[in-house]
Amino acid sequence: MDTKITKTVSELRPAGANAPAPASAFATALPFLALLVIGIAFPLFGGGYWGVIATRACVYWVLVSGLNLVVGFAGQIAIGWVALLTLGAYTTSVLAAGNVLPALPPYLALAIAALVGAIFGLIVGLPALRLRTFYFAITTLGFATIVTQVALAWQSVTGGGVGVPGPIFPEPFSSQWGFYYFCFGLAAICTWMTANIAASRFGRALTAIRDAEVAAEASGIAKPALLGTVFLFSGAVAAVAGGLFASLQSYITPDAFTLDLSVLFFIAILIGGRSSILGPLLGTILLTVLPEFAAPLVAWSTFLYAVLLLVIVLAIPGGIAEMLDFKNRRPLESDRAIVPRPELVARLLDTAPDAGTLTLDQVALSFGGVRAIDGLDMEIRPGQVHGLIGPNGSGKTTTLNVISGYYAPQHGAVRLNGAALPALTRHQRAHMRIARTFQTPRIVGSASVLENVMIGGTIYGRATFVESLLSLPRHRRDEAMLRKTAMLALESVGLERLAAVRADRLQHAELRFIEIARGLMLRPSFLLLDEPAAGLSAEEIARLSTLLLAIARAGTGVLLVEHHPDLIFDICHHITVLNLGKTLAAGTPAEIRSHREVVNAYLGG
Amino acid sequence: MPISAADPLLDVTGLSTGYGKIRVLTGVDLTVRAGEVVALLGPNGAGKTTLLRAVSGLLPWQGRVHFDGRDLAGAGPRETVKCGLAHVVEGHRVFTQLSVLDNLLLAAYDLPRGERAARVEEVLALFPEIAAKRHERAAWLSGGQQQILAVAQGLVRRPRLLMLDEPSAGLSPVLVDRVLVVVQRLREAGTAVLLVEQLIEKALALADRVYALARGSIVLEAKTSEADLPQRLEQAYMTGGSR
Amino acid sequence: MVTSIILSGTAMGCIYALIAVTYNVMFSASRVFSFTAGTLGMIGGVLGSLFIARMGLPVFVGFLLALAGGALLGIVTEIVAVRPVLKSLDQHLYVLSTLALALMIQQFTAIEWSTEPQPFPRLFDIARVEFDQQYWLPMLACAGVIVGLELLYRHTLIGHAFLAIAEDNYAARALGLPERQLRMTSFALAGVIGSLAGFAGGEMLLAFFANAPMLTFYGFVPVALGGMGNNRGAVVAGLLLGLFQQTANFLVGGIFASVAVFTVFIIVLLARPEGLVGSALQRRV
Repeated sequence: MDTKITKTVSELRPAGANAPAPASAFATALPFLALLVIGIAFPLFGGGYWGVIATRACVYWVLVSGLNLVVGFAGQIAIGWVALLTLGAYTTSVLAAGNVLPALPPYLALAIAALVGAIFGLIVGLPALRLRTFYFAITTLGFATIVTQVALAWQSVTGGGVGVPGPIFPEPFSSQWGFYYFCFGLAAICTWMTANIAASRFGRALTAIRDAEVAAEASGIAKPALLGTVFLFSGAVAAVAGGLFASLQSYITPDAFTLDLSVLFFIAILIGGRSSILGPLLGTILLTVLPEFAAPLVAWSTFLYAVLLLVIVLAIPGGIAEMLDFKNRRPLESDRAIVPRPELVARLLDTAPDAGTLTLDQVALSFGGVRAIDGLDMEIRPGQVHGLIGPNGSGKTTTLNVISGYYAPQHGAVRLNGAALPALTRHQRAHMRIARTFQTPRIVGSASVLENVMIGGTIYGRATFVESLLSLPRHRRDEAMLRKTAMLALESVGLERLAAVRADRLQHAELRFIEIARGLMLRPSFLLLDEPAAGLSAEEIARLSTLLLAIARAGTGVLLVEHHPDLIFDICHHITVLNLGKTLAAGTPAEIRSHREVVNAYLGG
Repeated sequence: MPISAADPLLDVTGLSTGYGKIRVLTGVDLTVRAGEVVALLGPNGAGKTTLLRAVSGLLPWQGRVHFDGRDLAGAGPRETVKCGLAHVVEGHRVFTQLSVLDNLLLAAYDLPRGERAARVEEVLALFPEIAAKRHERAAWLSGGQQQILAVAQGLVRRPRLLMLDEPSAGLSPVLVDRVLVVVQRLREAGTAVLLVEQLIEKALALADRVYALARGSIVLEAKTSEADLPQRLEQAYMTGGSR
Repeated sequence: MVTSIILSGTAMGCIYALIAVTYNVMFSASRVFSFTAGTLGMIGGVLGSLFIARMGLPVFVGFLLALAGGALLGIVTEIVAVRPVLKSLDQHLYVLSTLALALMIQQFTAIEWSTEPQPFPRLFDIARVEFDQQYWLPMLACAGVIVGLELLYRHTLIGHAFLAIAEDNYAARALGLPERQLRMTSFALAGVIGSLAGFAGGEMLLAFFANAPMLTFYGFVPVALGGMGNNRGAVVAGLLLGLFQQTANFLVGGIFASVAVFTVFIIVLLARPEGLVGSALQRRV
């Protein structure tokens, strides 16, 4: 009786109408607005000394805002970023002072420094694509030392140990408070720009690369291009900070650019928390201001920063951002049920074009001496659920990995409508509308459920990085489109009520359905599922079945790699049984179920 | 607290465990008596390896596990080995850079120095094929010999219960028989064995009792002498035990 | 002149090699790299200067105390910065925790000891010759450590246990090996080796807190080039690094020598991320 009423109510409520307003926009903006007001009013109640500190905090934040995208969002451990500050400071100062070329106006010098910074940001950052974490961290440290030493040695240009005077910006920015407003203005612009990126498909893609790289690839996110862009931006912004720093100091020498400064920037981001703008902003202010409260603290400042870093890493890895995340402290309902709405699946997938059949043509692959797949032929048709089963070690997951581009077949080919798919191009599968899920759910734990699903549609965004940076109309249209589609996907799988919740608070079964929702964002022609029923209760498996059948009915070809007999025999139109990399049997569920050899293979006889 | 002959050697009640958020075992009950061979069967992903890992202390668990009268709550592998419970893990993993002799001496790490060599010789006497290769590096042994070495490692501490995880995996039929002969000898010597195996017929031939594990709980418990066992097992596997 | 380059290059190379071994021993025990390796080298020099020059203790006593200090710091590293993060899901936290600890130690030293390099005592009261003790002490230390580690790993039970933990942590635990104790002991051993590097090289490096970042970087280069966990590769690479650096120093001067080393390092690493000797890493999906 009750279920009937509930169903009617949910039919009345139109789908997609429940998209949570962009994270309650006013509540998120409030802290920034408060800081803006404090910053503008600061000269009224701050004295000359504190004016210098405040200006310094603004300058540091200009650098840290860009570095935040590299360290906080992309998760790259770039400890030596002070190198870019040094480069920017010297470039601006030297060009403005006229040591090498005739003196340039300070704004032009600053702009050129930004360009130099962008290029070097790319140079320092690109090794991250090839090197392991610790190795990359060490190389950035080495780079920072090198830059300082070059500044020391290149006396004709940089003045060596004697140094150069910093640039002086013209009226109205030449006075102390005038310069303060200049730096404050730039800091505010940087805050706005990086916040725009954070709330764009680029920001989400960065966190995906950091926390779920495999899933990012499967969603079509190209790591080199994205990281390269972020390094360019971060380097440019750091160099601008350098120019401002030089002006603030009035005179720069190589020993102003210590490793301690680099450590400050890096730790400010980690104390602030990853994937946050507000956290690192508060962190930067905190670290700049803290040593000023007591003279002895200045000498111990780096020690203090290190202690703070250790405490954060061990106790609150989420940093200040996690401490301020009140909405994720609210308890969740304990008896949550995942109730997919199959009728919505058809609406979501209605634009999936017919891509023909996905075939495996005599595919063979060996690892070392073991033939993992041994001459496999298989055909996955659109609109059907194709099951792939077999004992452990039979090659099921390997087959799925070959289709999704993680392994290259040594013989044979995977063909889409006759044309062979290029090997080892896993990040291009999304463009071919081939989506997949993983044996262990690959999710960005610190992002919300909705953001995780939106990652699936990254390649459908049209706005460029610059358009997102400046929040131009195309960026806003992208966000609206992705948000709406993601909500529809969540409603189809039955998890819309959890859209705003941090993904790592969810149960295992819910994470599996989120992966499916993410895959559906692609409007896939083919959906490949890697043991989606593992860890699910019987009830949840039944719901998964209805969902998968609805997806197939909408025209998508579903490949289901599974152990669970219930799921396989209930919903598959066709089953292939693998054993030791070869097809043991293929046919309808009825044929397979009574096949003597299949039963034996399962029982291991 | 010493147990009487009637009490089981290993007594597991309501065992639940998993990896992070994924719950693998929910309320498993299982017993092994002194000197008996118990087979643990089940489809892939059922949780057999997870069960052994929980009992030997490699994984944290909830529930109740008693061994030889002792409560194993909070015990890690080092303690369970001391109590007389040995776990030979899946995949015939031995330390390839060390010799056969050194592999066995490592198993005797917690024994007083004087005893180590003697215990190792005792175990080598049971396995002439690896005794002959005592100074060779484990990397040069065949898969079957490595599996025998792994079992030998488990026996150095004279366990009362030896848990074997798929000792036949990756081995040819001839080698599989060699390994299972070892299990037979252990039973004759009075060591209890908990054997996880994929080769059902061979396991049933050796064991006194059998449990079937599917989807995280025990779906079948029987003596191997019972007549309709093969059909009941097939039923338990293919339907996942839920129908 | 050439002799001088060879002697100083080999000596510095031995110091770098020892720091690389420190990295490797910690890595073998825990699968993580710790930023504290270079800091341990610095501490060896500072403690040696503190105990012998400032407090006037006999050389041998100061030596033992310096090594004990290194062992202690190694253990602290394990307890505070490594053990807590091994359990967490985020693999990269160890970079941050060990960085934080290393910075704390460096800063403490800078403030309490001195921000300027302090002299390191002459350990043996003999006249200066060309092949002076400042050169052969690091070489002796390096040779001693290499031989000692070989003996340890080949012929002792605990050395075998270290190898077992490094090769297959899971199987070692299942066998009942005391994994946590062994890891702590490994870190203590690494601490001793790092401290020894700084002590033996004290006359060349002086007792200076800023040796820490320098050794952190130059001590890691042999690890990267020689392959992770590969001590022999590290020694060869360390010696080559020392000689290359001293030659470049002589030919083009200190600053450009650093640039040269760094550039070569980056190029080699980008060409072969697994090092010149190591094997390529496999991806798992």
